[in-house]
Amino acid sequence: MRVTVKLFATFRDGRFKVEERELPEGSKVMSVLEPLNIKPEEVAICLVNGQNVDEQHVLNDGDTIALFPPVGGG
Amino acid sequence: MPINGRYDRNKKTLSDEDQSRLATSCVAIVGCGGLGGYIAEELARIGIGRLVLIDGDRLEASNLNRQIMATELNIGQWKVEAARDRLRSVNSEVQVDVIKEWFDEEKGPKLLLEADLVFDALDSLSARVILERVCHQLQLPLVFASIAGWFGQIGVSLPGDFSVLRLFGHGEKGVESSWGNPAFTPAVLASLSVAEGIKILIGRMPALRRAWLQVDLLTMEFDRFEIGDI
Repeated sequence: MRVTVKLFATFRDGRFKVEERELPEGSKVMSVLEPLNIKPEEVAICLVNGQNVDEQHVLNDGDTIALFPPVGGG
Repeated sequence: MPINGRYDRNKKTLSDEDQSRLATSCVAIVGCGGLGGYIAEELARIGIGRLVLIDGDRLEASNLNRQIMATELNIGQWKVEAARDRLRSVNSEVQVDVIKEWFDEEKGPKLLLEADLVFDALDSLSARVILERVCHQLQLPLVFASIAGWFGQIGVSLPGDFSVLRLFGHGEKGVESSWGNPAFTPAVLASLSVAEGIKILIGRMPALRRAWLQVDLLTMEFDRFEIGDI
């Protein structure tokens, strides 16, 4: 199945803004994070098709995953 | 000191009625660093009647790159006092109250008691979540913003929303600990915050309720995301 991965803020550094990924059926968000070398604890928000999910969420064909690091400075 | 013409250029963005509403409003700014300093500056210039500045920190050299209240002459001074001194020369009609303490859950309700609106300009994720909780207990609207490097987030949390909890509910520090905060990011996010806050004070709908704006000043992209119900 194909999914779209969108990265935001510092996650774009050395990676990309948006890319498509081919994944085996039944893959979880975790399997998107691993090859990007992003640990689940580094993710402040993970949206799949606009819904807030965690790294155990099971993906479907056509999903769009948006990943945000914590931005907390003032 | 009342000065004729001070608010002339607020028209017609703000009506006379709006301007009087602002003059009778009390706004609390929690955190008086990069974001809080610019927020205070803009609120004083636009004509808010009373500002409550809350920050338990003193100015240091590393604040000079971005904090509008920091100068070479006031290093070591309490941030809220440095802000009050500057605001006095900008608009002496504004009453500026300073609280030289850190915001916490215990004394929070007392500090915000007379506020009509609160700005979250804190730099700790957990303190942001506490501030949202306290604001909602007091039925107070909250405008939150955060920054790191080229990036920022800003939104509005009204009583019953849990936007801050959703966005900042994990961990203690964000990526600002490694990316720092350059001058332009707090200025942009503070201005966006003030624009939303002013709408709330004059009875207009804020644009970013149950949503946040993801700001990327490297690519100049502003993306809006919705925050659904928990």
